[in-house]
Amino acid sequence: MSFHPKMAYDASFHKSGRTLTEAGEPFAYTPENTARFESIVVRYPADRRRSAVLPALYLVQYQQGHVTANAMRYVADLLGITAADVEDVVSYYTMFHTKPVGTFVINVCRTLPCALNGAERVTEEICGKLGIKPGETDPSGTFTVVEVECLGACDRAPVVMVNDAWHECLSPEDASKLLDDLRARGEAALSGCHHVVESRRL
Amino acid sequence: MDTVTLTIDGRPVKVEKGRTVLQAAIESGIEIPYYCYHPGIGVDGSCRVCIVKIEKMPKLQTSCSTICGDGMVVSTRTADVVAARAGVFELLLINHPLDCPVCDKGGECPLQDFSYAFGPDQSRMEFPRRTFDGEGVKADVDFGPTLMLNRNRCILCTRCVRFMRDVEGDAQINVIDRGYGSEIATFQEEGVHSLLSGNLMDVCPVGAITTRDYRFKSRPWDNPDAADTICTLCSKGCNTTAWIKAKPEWAKGSRLIRFTPRFNPTVNGYWMCDIGRFEYHWIESDDRLRVPLARVGGVERPIAWHDLLPQVADRLAAAGATSPGSVRFLLSAHASNEELFLFKRLAEHLDLERRLSTLDRERVEPEDVVTVSWRHTKKTQPARTKFVVPAVDAPNVNGARALGLAPGAPGSPQGPADVSALRSAVEAGRVSALYVFDPGPDGSLGDTRWIVDARASGALGLLVVHGVLLTAVARAADFVLPGASFVEKEASYTNDRGRLQGTARAIPLPGEAVEDWRILVKLCSALGVPIECDTFESAADVRGAIAACFPDVTGLAGLATLAFNAPAPADHWLQASNPSERWKWDVMFQDLPPVKGSVDPSALPPPPGVIPLRAIK
Ligand code: SF4
Ligand code: SF4
Ligand code: FES
Ligand code: FES
Repeated sequence: MSFHPKMAYDASFHKSGRTLTEAGEPFAYTPENTARFESIVVRYPADRRRSAVLPALYLVQYQQGHVTANAMRYVADLLGITAADVEDVVSYYTMFHTKPVGTFVINVCRTLPCALNGAERVTEEICGKLGIKPGETDPSGTFTVVEVECLGACDRAPVVMVNDAWHECLSPEDASKLLDDLRARGEAALSGCHHVVESRRL
Repeated sequence: MDTVTLTIDGRPVKVEKGRTVLQAAIESGIEIPYYCYHPGIGVDGSCRVCIVKIEKMPKLQTSCSTICGDGMVVSTRTADVVAARAGVFELLLINHPLDCPVCDKGGECPLQDFSYAFGPDQSRMEFPRRTFDGEGVKADVDFGPTLMLNRNRCILCTRCVRFMRDVEGDAQINVIDRGYGSEIATFQEEGVHSLLSGNLMDVCPVGAITTRDYRFKSRPWDNPDAADTICTLCSKGCNTTAWIKAKPEWAKGSRLIRFTPRFNPTVNGYWMCDIGRFEYHWIESDDRLRVPLARVGGVERPIAWHDLLPQVADRLAAAGATSPGSVRFLLSAHASNEELFLFKRLAEHLDLERRLSTLDRERVEPEDVVTVSWRHTKKTQPARTKFVVPAVDAPNVNGARALGLAPGAPGSPQGPADVSALRSAVEAGRVSALYVFDPGPDGSLGDTRWIVDARASGALGLLVVHGVLLTAVARAADFVLPGASFVEKEASYTNDRGRLQGTARAIPLPGEAVEDWRILVKLCSALGVPIECDTFESAADVRGAIAACFPDVTGLAGLATLAFNAPAPADHWLQASNPSERWKWDVMFQDLPPVKGSVDPSALPPPPGVIPLRAIK
C-alpha cells in the first residue's frame, strides 16, 4: 500500500543496519511442550495470557535451543499478542538466545561484586581456554560464553551460571578446571546455589 | 463538576478533579515541557522533563503523573527545578544528532523548542554519539510504506509504541534491546503497516518518524498559511488542517503540502487516517479538469463557459421532453448539501417542463431520476482499534438522505450504494441523457465502466460530466464541466453521525474551473428554472434556501448559520495535531520575526463545533 504516487514502497530507501534474527524452520511446540504450555497458561487470567510470555519462550528454548523469528511469531499467536511484543521481550533478556548455542551456556556475572572478585579474569580464563570471545560458541559446539549482569549471589562472587544451574566462588584459577569437569560430568560439576551447598553441609 | 484548587508558581489554578498537574499547567498557560505525555495517548512518566517541585513532597515530581490535590503548592521555576530539568535535557541530547538543518521536524520540533527554552546552553558530552543505522541521511531507514525512521533522533518517549498499542490496536512498534542499546523497532524491520500510520509522525516529538509524503518537501516556514477544514474522503468527516505552501504563481509544484488532523473530541479526536492524510495529490494533479470541454466531431475540445451552458441546457431540455424520467442524474455522495439541493431543483424543473410541454400528468419525483452513489470499501483494521475508518468513501450520504435523494434515514447505518435501477435503465436505452456529477477523487462513484460501455454501444445519447478529474467517464462525455474540489469551495456535508460540517476554501480554483453551486445556478438560469436561482450570489444564499425548504430536518439543522474557515497565517507555525501543544507557539518565541500573512486569526469565527483555541493573555 503506497499512498504516494511517485514514491513506490520499498524502492530506494536505506534498510536498517540491525542484525535480524534468523527466521529458522517453521516452529510449533511438540505435543509434550504444548501440554506444558497449556498447564502454564491457565495460571494467568484469560485476558492476561500475555503474562505467560517468559515461560512460553523458555519452552521454545528447551525445545530447539534458541529462539527464531518463526518461534516468536508462534508464541505471539499462542498468546494473542503481536510478534513485536515478543521480540521486545526476547531482545530484552540475556537468557534468550537468538542464535544456536553450545550444550553449556556459561553466563559469567560481570557486575560490581563479581568484578571486584576477579570476574573479568574468569572470563579471560574460560575464553582463553576455549579460544573464543564472550558471546561466541566454541568450535566443538559445547560451550557458549556470555557476560551477564548480577546473578543474585553476590556474596559468593564470582558467580557463573551454566544453563540453569549456579556455580559460586569460582576463582579464576579454577575456571579451566571447571570446563574439563563440565565436559566430563555435565552439570553435576557445578557447586550449585549456596543454599543448596549449605543445606548439604548441615 | 468537582474541582480542586492548587497553586502553580504562585497562581491559584482551579481544575477538574482528577486532572494532573501538567494538565492543570497547560490549561492555565503555565509552561512545563513534556514529551512522553500526550493527551490522546496518556501518561507514561518516562521522559522526566516535566518535573516540578511540589511542597511537602520529598523529591521533584513528574507533573504528568501527579494528580492535582486541593491546596497543592507547585513551583516550576525554582532554582532546583530549573537545574534538574536542564540536567534531563542534557541527557536527552547526549546521543541526539542535532542535525536540525536537515531534519524534517526542524522548525516545529518540541525537542528544539523545549531544549532552547529549558535546556542547558551547552553539552559536556565528549564521547562520540551512539548511532544505529548510520549517520546523516543514511540513518533514515524504511519504516513501512508510509514512514521513515531515524533512530538516532529518537528520545524513546514511547509515544509511537503506545499509539500503536492503545489507539491503533495492533502493537507493531516496540522497544527492543535494553539500556543504552534500546531502540524503536518493528518486528524484524517489517515496518508499520497501518491505516493510521501518519499519526505517528504527529505524535513523535522529534524528527525520528517522518512521512515519505512530506519528507524534504517543505520547511514549516515555507507554509505560511493553513486552513482549518474537514476531510471528505469518507463519511467520518475528520477535522483537519490543510497546509498551504508559499509559492509564486508561476512556480511549479502544488500548493497543498500536507494535511494534519485537528482536534475534535466528537469526531476524530487527535487523529486522522492515512487516506485523508496522503490522498490529496489528485487535487492538483495533471488530470485535473481546468477548462470546460465539449465534444465536437468526436473529439473533446475546450469551449468557453458562455457557449457551453446554453448548449448543455438546450440538449438537456430536449432530452427531458421525450419521456418521463428520460434525463437521469448520477451524483456522487461527494456532492455537498448545496449541490444536491440544486440538482434536486434542476430535476424537478426538467420534469415540470416535460409535463407542461407534453400535457402528461404523470409526475416524476426527483428521487426517481437522481441516483446518489458512493464507493463502499471495507477497511482492514485491527479489531481493537479506537479509530475506525468507515467503509463509505464519501462525506455526504446523510446529506443526500436528509434531502430525500438517497434511501435510509439520516444517521442510520450506511451500506453500499445501489445504482442497479439506473444502470438497467441506461443499458435498456430508456435514458436519453445522463448527467454525472463527482467532485471527489477518481473512483468515488464506484464502478462506472457501464456508463462508458453504454456510450460505446450507443445506448446513451447524451452524457454530461461535471467534476474535477479527467476520468474514463469524463473522456466519454459530450460535455465536461470543471468544478471544484473540497479544498476550493465552502461547502457543507453531513457526516455519518448526522453532524453538519463545512470545508474551507484553502486554495484557488485551477484554470477556468468554477465552484459547483455556481455552475448549477448558471445552468438553472439557462434552463429558466423559476426559482430564486438568479438571486443566489454565494453558496450561503443556497444554504439559506435549503434551510428555508428543510427547516427541521435532521442533519441539516444549523445550515444557514454554518461558519467556514479561511486560510489563516500559521504564525505559530505549527498548528500541532495536538492543540494542547499549541500554547507554546503562542507564548514562546515571541521575539521571532512574524511570518507572512494578512488575516488575523482571532477575528475569524470559530469553526462549527470545534473547541476554539484558548487565548493566552
Ligand atoms: S528532532 Fe528536532 S532537535 Fe532533533 S534534529 Fe530534528 S529538529 Fe533538531
Ligand atoms: S520514535 Fe518518536 S515517538 Fe517513538 S519513541 Fe522515539 S521519539 Fe518517541
Ligand atoms: S554481582 Fe555477580 S552475582 Fe551479583
Ligand atoms: S511528560 Fe512527564 S515524564 Fe514525560
